[in-house]
Amino acid sequence: MREGKKKIEQAARRWEAEVLKPRLERFNLEKSPTTFHTPLTTNGSRFLEKVGFPGQYPFTAGNHPFEFWRAHAKTAALFGFRPDWGGAGGVGKYGGFGTPADYRDYLLRMQSMGRRGGPNIAFDLVTQCGFDSDSPYAEGEVGRVGVAVDSLRDFSVIYEAYTGELDIDRVPSNFTINAPAAVIIAMYACLAKKRGIDLARLKGTPQNDILKEFIARGTYIFPPGPSMRLFRDTCVFCCRHMPSLNINSIGGYHIREAGATRTQDLAFSLANGIAYLEAGIEGGLAVDEFAPAFTFNAFGGSMEIYNEIAFQRAARRMWARILKERFHARDPRSMMIRQPITAHIGCSSTTLQRSLNNLARAVIGGMAAGMSGGIPGAYPPFDEPLGLGHSQEAVQLQLDATRIMIYEAKVADVCDPWAGSYFMESLTDRTEEDALAELEKVERMGGAVAAIENGYMPRAVAKSAYERQKQIEAQEELVVGVNCFTGANEIDVSINRVVEATYDPELMKTAEERQKASLARLKRERDGRAVTTSLNNLKGHARDHDRNLMPAICECVENDATLQEICDVLREVFGEAQPVKL
Amino acid sequence: MVHDSKIRVLIAKPGLDGHERGAHVVAYGLRDEGFEVIYTGLRQTPEQIVSAAIQEDVDVVGLSVLSGAHLSLTSKVMAGLRAKGADDVLVLVGGIIPEEDRKALQEQGVSGVFTAGSSIKDIAAFIRSRVRTGE
Repeated sequence: MREGKKKIEQAARRWEAEVLKPRLERFNLEKSPTTFHTPLTTNGSRFLEKVGFPGQYPFTAGNHPFEFWRAHAKTAALFGFRPDWGGAGGVGKYGGFGTPADYRDYLLRMQSMGRRGGPNIAFDLVTQCGFDSDSPYAEGEVGRVGVAVDSLRDFSVIYEAYTGELDIDRVPSNFTINAPAAVIIAMYACLAKKRGIDLARLKGTPQNDILKEFIARGTYIFPPGPSMRLFRDTCVFCCRHMPSLNINSIGGYHIREAGATRTQDLAFSLANGIAYLEAGIEGGLAVDEFAPAFTFNAFGGSMEIYNEIAFQRAARRMWARILKERFHARDPRSMMIRQPITAHIGCSSTTLQRSLNNLARAVIGGMAAGMSGGIPGAYPPFDEPLGLGHSQEAVQLQLDATRIMIYEAKVADVCDPWAGSYFMESLTDRTEEDALAELEKVERMGGAVAAIENGYMPRAVAKSAYERQKQIEAQEELVVGVNCFTGANEIDVSINRVVEATYDPELMKTAEERQKASLARLKRERDGRAVTTSLNNLKGHARDHDRNLMPAICECVENDATLQEICDVLREVFGEAQPVKL
Repeated sequence: MVHDSKIRVLIAKPGLDGHERGAHVVAYGLRDEGFEVIYTGLRQTPEQIVSAAIQEDVDVVGLSVLSGAHLSLTSKVMAGLRAKGADDVLVLVGGIIPEEDRKALQEQGVSGVFTAGSSIKDIAAFIRSRVRTGE
């Protein structure tokens, strides 16, 4: 780079005049359809400040020189080990349906096919919204998008699939649960207690990211303020008693899927993260005690491969700076954005039209991940938009695509291959600047909670979703097979999805009835007085803002109080969140 | 009933499903296409949707469901509309609807099913072709 700025500037002007301009004229264009970058694009060589080495502040180049999975990649191939590299590392594939017994049997079947990871549990919407299977709100929804869990008894039935070498102190569990996360964490703790397992040995990740539910995913129960109190209580409880458990999984993914732009996604996710950090500190913890147990969930979600790589790099740098400069963290682990899935295309990039193309799309996302510090996972399976549940064939193709990227293309053999690229460094800077401006806007409103209460974040995302749709309909954004290349000469390629449905449709049909019967049995058999006493105790604790609710919730759970009974007590004290109008 | 003004559309999210993107996009889009659009927000019971449709005197109800509960939720809304004598309301369903369920929805009385990849223009044109204005 010692050629001198002036010399490069002169050369650039000459190139524009002698090479670029004639080319544009030849094709009758005003503006080039491509860009080219030189040392002039970046403002100098602040390499150590802006990029640094992988595993060192500001973590732009990655959290580590290589991730754990990379260390074991060769062994996994030679032994035919089947980690679910479509996505998360040690965790099994996300799933759940029917009654707890249905899901347990499914997990056992998957284990017989070689799956070894812990459960990554999808709960049905009834559970996610804090209702029981016998609630009028539950009708038609029990066991549909996940497994129904009404009580500790249900939770324990699922875990009958995890004993011996797959016991809960050996494999991690993931829980996609937010508003009632405190109840599910309590169930996990009570299950361990029943099995005589030290809580400190429990591994796993509850999603426990309530703020993005208000912005994007919609399964909220209580208003944002009290929801953050529940977060604080789980944060402190996990930190003190379950130090190997991650506290949350902060989602950019859902925010982007709901329609957010890249800038909004990054800014809102970090704003939410800041709110969680503040909650932990309000709970009396020091930042380095709990921030290392924060995780993030699949930042990313578009086909724009360069932008998604820049996004990962910018996100790592921004979070590290926030932790260090604002929260005065000293432990590098507090500063890292840890994500099981990193860059990816986002399910909303998949198309129903010519759906096998989604495999090609997912590979692009995997390349972005592999080139920005993540597992090059081809996510999601191509049949994502065809209905709920992926076929075994689609999952096989997804896994193989990931393996091809790792072993044949060797995508993950270089750490931050874009470091120092004039183009990528400038794009990373711009991504950071834009997100920072949006984050500052949210902060001026009073932070994430305030920007949810005043409707700003949810409405901004809704508007962006509409803008994107308008761009597609106006053919400003092109999607193959959707708004271009749809002529008569294009053929629709499909493959047979002959393997049985992932989840037995017959079981799905009867799940609601069976689950309601099992809940009725529980309500007959349990000690009604103990339930009432523990729920009353919870109510008292809920009224005292300074009190941690986890011990009282654990007591309710142990006495077989149901999830809805617990949530109803909290609804009474906290009130309920109202849906956002446009 | 004589319509001398805009076609009125209720976009509704029945059940517990929280995926709002499609509903948001269709609500904004139909508004820009010149319809009068009311959006219910999340987590509405079929009864709430039916009563909103009647109170707001809408011509069209668009239900958005991505949770797989579309058959039972839609049938309750259809039954509610019939029971209130509002069976002239055009009902559309959007979301993740497996191909094999389209027929079942049509048998329930649903006029149109619009899944991922549908365009606002198509939905608007469909509504205009079915709901007559200015008669």
